[in-house]
Amino acid sequence: MGLKALSKQVATAIIVAIVIIGVVAGYYAFQASKAPASPASISPSSSNPSATTSRSFTSSTTTSSASPTEAKVESEIVIGVTDKVTDLDPANAYDFFTWEVLYNVMEGLVKYKPGTTEIVPGLAENWTVSGDGKVWTFVLRPNLKFSDGTPLTAKDVVRSIERVMKIKGDPSWLVTSFVEKVVAKDDRTVVFYLKQPTSFFLALVATPPYFPVNPKYPGDKIVSDATWGGAGPYRIVRFVRDVELVLEANPYYYGPKPKTEKIIIKFYRDASALRLALESGEIDIAWRTLRPTDIQYFKQQSGFKVIEVPGSFIRYICFNTKVSPTDTALVRKALAAAIDRQQIIDTVLLGAGEPLYSLVPKGLWSHVDAFKVYGDANTELAKKLLEQAGYSKDKPLEITLWYTPTHYGDTEADIAQLIAQQWEKTGLVKVTIKSAEWSTYVSYIRKGQLQAYLLGWYPDYLDPDDYLTPFLDSNANGWSGTGFANETVNKLLEKAQTIVNQQERAKIYEEVQNILAEQVPYVPLFQGKLFIVTRSDIEGIIPSPTMILMYDTIYKVQG
Amino acid sequence: MDRRIKPKSLLSPLAKQLTSRLPGRGLLLAGLAIVLLFMGMAVFAPWISPYDPTKMVDKPFLPPSLKHFMGTNRIGQDVFSRIIWGSRIVLYVVFSATLLSMAIGIPLGLLSGYRGGKIDRVLSMFMDSMYSFPALILAIAIAAVLGPSPMNTAIAIAFVYIPTYFRMIRGQTLSIKSQLFIDAAHALGIPDKRIMLIHILPNLAHTILVVFSLSVADAILTEAGLSFLGLSVTPPTPDWGYDLRVGQPFFLNGQWWLVFFPGLSVMLLAMGFALIGEALSERLSLAQSI
Amino acid sequence: MAKKGLGYYIVVRALMIIPTILILYTIVFVLLRILPGNPILAVVGTRNIPPEQLRHLEHLAGLDKPLIAQYFDYLWNVLHGNFGVTLASPMGVPVMDYIATRFPATLELAIWGFTFSVIIGLVTGMIAALKRGGKIDTTMRIYSIVAYTLFIPWLGMILQYVFGVVLGVLPTGGRIDPRINLQTITGLYVLDSILTGNLPALISSIKHLILPSLTLGIVLSGAYTRLVRNNMVDVLSMDFIRSYKARGIPGYKITWYALKNAFIPVITLMGLQFAILLGGAILTETTFSWPGMGTFIVDRIEYRDYNSIQGAIIFFAFFVAVISLVVDVIYALLDPRIKY
Repeated sequence: MGLKALSKQVATAIIVAIVIIGVVAGYYAFQASKAPASPASISPSSSNPSATTSRSFTSSTTTSSASPTEAKVESEIVIGVTDKVTDLDPANAYDFFTWEVLYNVMEGLVKYKPGTTEIVPGLAENWTVSGDGKVWTFVLRPNLKFSDGTPLTAKDVVRSIERVMKIKGDPSWLVTSFVEKVVAKDDRTVVFYLKQPTSFFLALVATPPYFPVNPKYPGDKIVSDATWGGAGPYRIVRFVRDVELVLEANPYYYGPKPKTEKIIIKFYRDASALRLALESGEIDIAWRTLRPTDIQYFKQQSGFKVIEVPGSFIRYICFNTKVSPTDTALVRKALAAAIDRQQIIDTVLLGAGEPLYSLVPKGLWSHVDAFKVYGDANTELAKKLLEQAGYSKDKPLEITLWYTPTHYGDTEADIAQLIAQQWEKTGLVKVTIKSAEWSTYVSYIRKGQLQAYLLGWYPDYLDPDDYLTPFLDSNANGWSGTGFANETVNKLLEKAQTIVNQQERAKIYEEVQNILAEQVPYVPLFQGKLFIVTRSDIEGIIPSPTMILMYDTIYKVQG
Repeated sequence: MDRRIKPKSLLSPLAKQLTSRLPGRGLLLAGLAIVLLFMGMAVFAPWISPYDPTKMVDKPFLPPSLKHFMGTNRIGQDVFSRIIWGSRIVLYVVFSATLLSMAIGIPLGLLSGYRGGKIDRVLSMFMDSMYSFPALILAIAIAAVLGPSPMNTAIAIAFVYIPTYFRMIRGQTLSIKSQLFIDAAHALGIPDKRIMLIHILPNLAHTILVVFSLSVADAILTEAGLSFLGLSVTPPTPDWGYDLRVGQPFFLNGQWWLVFFPGLSVMLLAMGFALIGEALSERLSLAQSI
Repeated sequence: MAKKGLGYYIVVRALMIIPTILILYTIVFVLLRILPGNPILAVVGTRNIPPEQLRHLEHLAGLDKPLIAQYFDYLWNVLHGNFGVTLASPMGVPVMDYIATRFPATLELAIWGFTFSVIIGLVTGMIAALKRGGKIDTTMRIYSIVAYTLFIPWLGMILQYVFGVVLGVLPTGGRIDPRINLQTITGLYVLDSILTGNLPALISSIKHLILPSLTLGIVLSGAYTRLVRNNMVDVLSMDFIRSYKARGIPGYKITWYALKNAFIPVITLMGLQFAILLGGAILTETTFSWPGMGTFIVDRIEYRDYNSIQGAIIFFAFFVAVISLVVDVIYALLDPRIKY
């Protein structure tokens, strides 16, 4: 009897387990054979008028909140992001997405022409530069107003910039390192006196620390949740941190009226949630940042559009040139030669990147493919160089490769694994992979405690200078932990900063890039591409190499 | 099994009826089978694993087939091999962690519950503070400080379960302490140490096993949770929780094997221990009432 | 002390919350400071910021003060109900602002998860106990084990896929549809929707709640099933029950008595689960992008935002301590065998 009861119980247990597994597995097997049906796009509640009646904000000048009709739905677009708005105060904001919001709710004296890196007039009508390159004069457009109707004069521009200099927030060096003083000559004329001739000053003026802000921003204090804005195409209606940011068209904007009256930005915690939100119709546009797999998925689905954005951010390996064995140039060259960039891009990024052979990204003037001298996946050359450096099968090069697990997205561990495999393919390298969480990672790097490590760079301003000086000028590359110092490079870079002629500058930067490939303190890996995925009724997105999405051109097609 | 007649069982002559019931042997065997299976996998991993779990061995995203029982993952590693090797990490972490927390939690709980007074108050206070600390967060904080490695994860998890043992044991001790037979033992002049070890501890075996069954299984889930959050091991070390996390985005694309198998392994192993614990606890409760 | 009664016990327990929180705060403070890196570095990262500005930023955040001063400054602030301001990304937002929106989210998830788990647990446990030894008992048992050993992200993802992606009937993340404006009063969206008479918000928030709380509820219910069953069986097999039966006391009364007794450990477990809950909640919140305390703390650990983590932990510890006190008091009231 004991045996019988026993077998009964076991049988029950197994059957239950099998049923559960079977049901689930069956479900997936079934689902795999047919594409998942697109669910009903909008939940019934969203078109219900009462949904909007309890809104806590009011707007006297726009019609959007007045009557909840069908047309209203068409005039609003929901954008989902996984990024966060850190600090809506341009005196302290220093991350890409927050800058994007600032670009939409404020405007600088100059701005980028949509879809290009070309600088065009913004709030300033025109500008002149003195012969020595140290005095820049901007003339504002007439009758400018902030988004609340307050007039905007040169005094406001000066006040905003002085505010940044006084507060000394994260991005303030973009002003303080270059600007000696700024004065308002009259209501419409702003004059900058620079510390030294700065060839890329316009690119700097296009950044948020130079944006005029509403007089409501206190002169000496950071206001992280500030919603007063500046004089951009949109203004902030409501900001609930980590939940949503609601923008409406700024009625006082000098330029063309935005195509869509209301933009809602919805914050998601991770790429999975963002992707599901787009699929379920909760959002119209999924922006920064979906995973490469999600992009691939949406490319295959009907009802969605995938728009490619050329990226200006670069990824690279750093070598500490102060510790053994990476203090030997032969070792660094060998490791650079063994890298197979295409494999990383194909396997991990699923195509969301382009091989990069210099620190200056492709597409930016003065770029040269300096690292092509090592070839790609050049295991033979790597072997030769390692043998020259005295390593053999019995005495392999031992190296620790570090990465950080979340800061650059969760594909980072895979990139590290692939690089390790590529290095080990030479048969002469033994790699240990280690990881440290971002703040720890940065602290290790700044102290020069790591040997080989993965990092990435988002430009502060779009100029080759921002891709070379911070890396190679020994007065500026303390953050990188590479300990790289080269007098020739320092002199070349400093010289290029003061020359106004672009062709002459380009020549210098080309020379610097060749020295970089000779010394290999960094191995460029790839430059990233970004993707915007929208529902198919969304039009008017202009992808830009600045990686900033301007909302005013986007609209939804009726029906 | 201790079959000496205890004061408690004198009061229950009818309890014998219960012995005719089967004391959950089926559950026990099923549990043992699962646990032994995974232990076998862990021990014999180098021989039974078809591929190197850390290397790209084939094209990425191959669905399960005869060549790859559980398919290949996003970077062409063999999922089946990773499951097999992953059992090593889990078992190592969980055993170290549970033994560590039992070794500390049980004696302290017994002492605290029995002695009462100042010791009890101080210990309870400390354990309560640790307990009110959300388990996973404490583990996250410790794991973050120590850096990702299996032993560090074990320490982090052990920390988390000490108060669990402590509080359960203390509560039960309090309850048993006030029962008649303990008073009787006191009256007979038996020393406290002996009462704790001979009269209370055996009565706690029931509780310990219930808690054990809960906590080993739970520790497996905590380990998986930590690695799901990316805090347990560094890739390419195979780990179920980590594989589950990196498989998530592909899962929704229909590459179900990347999430399904690691999650199933976590559940099965945890279930194995839970089954054993469940069966043992029932057997013990029967034995105690004889 | 034993004779001083329940009132005394409650007062002592309540006073003990203070050292409890002190201990916790100290642990967190030390753990955070041992970690290399700080909130400023987390924000600055690899940005090419001049060293003197880095020092200025650290000064702004008060990180240049001696550790002992940082320790007591924060403690002093907390005593005055001020949980400090965030130190990184963004800098300067009161931590309480975050807690005020994050805590209700976790609480709402917890309440619903609890409700699911207790109902499922009590029903299955009671049935198993009454039919002990039979097929139903075995089934319930297996259910309890399977439920308990389900890995939350795994279960969550499967539910997401089935209900969110394939069937498309339930949202898979967030708390409410972004197009709906809900005036928040308590921060518990369901309650707020009812209070403001906002039907679409009510429907939307319930829809958003179902999957995460069901995930949490199913996983937690396993422990209740087992506990209720085992304790009811224990009570039902006690000698005095037999004598009750012999005296002809009706079955439902005995069942009720057994259930009431089984409730003691259930209540303990509920108290205990509240702490476990946040652990589970981190995984649930991560899987479902639920903007609660769990995800908040995890996110903030990444930024090394000392004040946020300390504040959130202290707040949560306080809450758990109070719950734990209440549970102990109920425990004492229900189990007269315990002397204090």
